[in-house]
Amino acid sequence: MTPSVVGRTLRGSGLDKALPYLMLGPALFLVLGVIVYPLIDGLRSSTGFFRFGRLVRDVGLDNYRQAFADPAFIGALLTTARFVFLAVTIETVLGLALALLVARERRFIRRIRATLILPMIVTPVVVGIVFRLIYASDVGLLASMAHAVGLDPPQILSSGTGAFLGLVFLDVWEWTPLLFLILLAGIQSMPVEPFEAARVDGAGAWRIFVDHTLPLLRPTILVAVTLRAIEALTTFDQVYVLTRGGPGTSTQLISIYGYQTFFQFQQVGYAAAMLFMVALVVLVAAGFSVGLMRRRAS
Amino acid sequence: MTKGRLSGIAWAVAALTAIAFAIIPLLWMILTSLKTNREITQDTSLIPESLTIGNYVSLFNGREFGAYLTNSIIVTSVSVAIALILGTQAAYVLARFRLRGGMHRYVGFSLLMVRLLPPIVIIIPIFLVAQQLGLLNTQLSLIVVYAAFNVTIVVWMMESFFREIPVDLEEAAMVDGDTRFTAFRRIVLPLAAPGLVATGIFAMITTYNEFLFALVLTSTPAAETMPVGAATLIGRINVDWGAMSAAGVVGALPIVIFSIFVQKHLVRGLTMGAVK
Repeated sequence: MTPSVVGRTLRGSGLDKALPYLMLGPALFLVLGVIVYPLIDGLRSSTGFFRFGRLVRDVGLDNYRQAFADPAFIGALLTTARFVFLAVTIETVLGLALALLVARERRFIRRIRATLILPMIVTPVVVGIVFRLIYASDVGLLASMAHAVGLDPPQILSSGTGAFLGLVFLDVWEWTPLLFLILLAGIQSMPVEPFEAARVDGAGAWRIFVDHTLPLLRPTILVAVTLRAIEALTTFDQVYVLTRGGPGTSTQLISIYGYQTFFQFQQVGYAAAMLFMVALVVLVAAGFSVGLMRRRAS
Repeated sequence: MTKGRLSGIAWAVAALTAIAFAIIPLLWMILTSLKTNREITQDTSLIPESLTIGNYVSLFNGREFGAYLTNSIIVTSVSVAIALILGTQAAYVLARFRLRGGMHRYVGFSLLMVRLLPPIVIIIPIFLVAQQLGLLNTQLSLIVVYAAFNVTIVVWMMESFFREIPVDLEEAAMVDGDTRFTAFRRIVLPLAAPGLVATGIFAMITTYNEFLFALVLTSTPAAETMPVGAATLIGRINVDWGAMSAAGVVGALPIVIFSIFVQKHLVRGLTMGAVK
C-alpha cells in the first residue's frame, strides 16, 4: 500500500514514499533495541537457573512454580495489594475533594493549583528523605510537635504497622495531586447544562454532586484510579529510602523483593520469572484502561 | 454575616489547610537543613535559633554533589532532546500516513504499553545487556535508556496533538512548492509547539526524578545522578540529619526551579502526560 495522507491520496516521488519510514524508523529502532530486545532476553533468562549470576542450566517453568511456593513472594504480593488499595482509595477521595474545591476560577486560583501539585514534582527519593525527617523518633517533625505539647514522641518507623501506615501516608501526600489534576481536568470538561437545570430546579449542592457530578465523572475516575494503581504497584524509590522494606517484611513491596532477589541474592532467573508475572497483571490492567480512554475519546 | 461570606471563609480555610498539607513537610526539611546537627539533636524546638549553611557546603566540598548535578543535567537534557526529535517525527508519521500492515494504528498503542511496564521488570534485562556491552557506569547508558523510554511517551502525546492540526494547511504549503518534510518543519511543527512544550516538561520532570535505572546502571560519581547521590549518601550517614536534609533540598531544587520557570505550562503538561 502506498503511504498516503489519511483519507486522501498524495502524489509523490520515490523519496516521498520512503519518507514516513525514514521518519518513523529511528524512534522504533531505539525502542526495539533498548527495551524490547532486553525484554525478550529477560524472558529467556526467566527459565534458567543461575548461580553467582551465571546461567547453570535451563529449568523450564520451575522458576514460575517456585514463586507460588515462596512465602516471601506471596507476602510481598499481599503487602503490595494492601498498600495499593489503601493509598489509591484515600488519594481518590482526597483528590476529588481538592478538585471540587479549586474547580471554579477565583483570585489566585492558578497559584493555588500550582502549589497543590508541588508534592508530585519533588523527586521521589527526596520525598523519602522528607518523610524520614518527619517520622524520625528523636529529631522528626512529629516528635518535635509531640514534644511541644508534652506528649511522648510517636514510634513510627520502628513498628511494622507504623511503618506500613507511614508509607501509605507518604504515598497519599505525594500522589493525591495526580488524582487531583486528572479529576480537575475531568470536571472542567463537563457540560454546564445539567448543572444549570438542576440549580433552577432548586437542587442542593450535595444532590447535584451525587446526581450529576459523580455519574459524569465516573469514566475519568476509573481511568485515573487504574493509572495510579499501575504506578503504585511498582513503588520503589520511596521505600528504598524510607525503610528498605522493613522492619521485618512490613513494607516489603513486590519491587523491593524483586530487586533484592536479583541484586542481593543473585537469583537472576527467579527474579525475572517473578517480575514477569507481575508485568502480566500490569499489562492487562493497562490495556484495559487505555482501551477505556480510547473509547471515551472517540 | 451573609451565607455567601460564610461559605467564602469556609472555602479559604479548606484551601489553606490543603496548601499547608502540601508544603509543611518540605518546609520542615528546609528548616532542618539550616540547623547545626547539635541543634537538631539536642533541641527539639520547631524554630532554629541560629542558621547555618555548613550542611550545604559539606555536600559540595568532599561529597560529590557538584558531579551529581552535572550528570543529572546532561543526562536529562540530552535524552529528552533526542526523544523529542525522534519521537515527534514518528508521531507525525503515525498521525498522517497509512503504513504497511496497518502499522499506523497499533505502533502508538504498543509503545504506550512498553511505557506502562513496571520499571523493575525491564531493568534486570537492561542491566544484563549493559553489562555484556561494558556500558555500566557511563552517562551514555543512562542517556540511551532514558531516550528510549521518553520516545514512547513523546510519540503517544504528540500523535494526538498532530491529529488536531488540519491537514489542509500542509497541503496548501505543498501546492506552493514545499516538500512533505519542509511542510512538516515549516507549518506543522510551529502549530504543534504548545504540545511539544507540554510533552517536554513532562519528560524533563520524570527523567530528572528517575531513580531505579540510575541506581542499577551507575556506581560512581562519574555517572551517578542526583537521586542516586542523595539516596546513597543517606544510606551511609544514618545520623547526620543536617547533611541528609541538605541533600534532600539540593536534590529536589533543580526540578522545582525548572517547574517554577515553566509554571504557565506546568499543569497542562502534567495533566496531559497523565491522561493522553
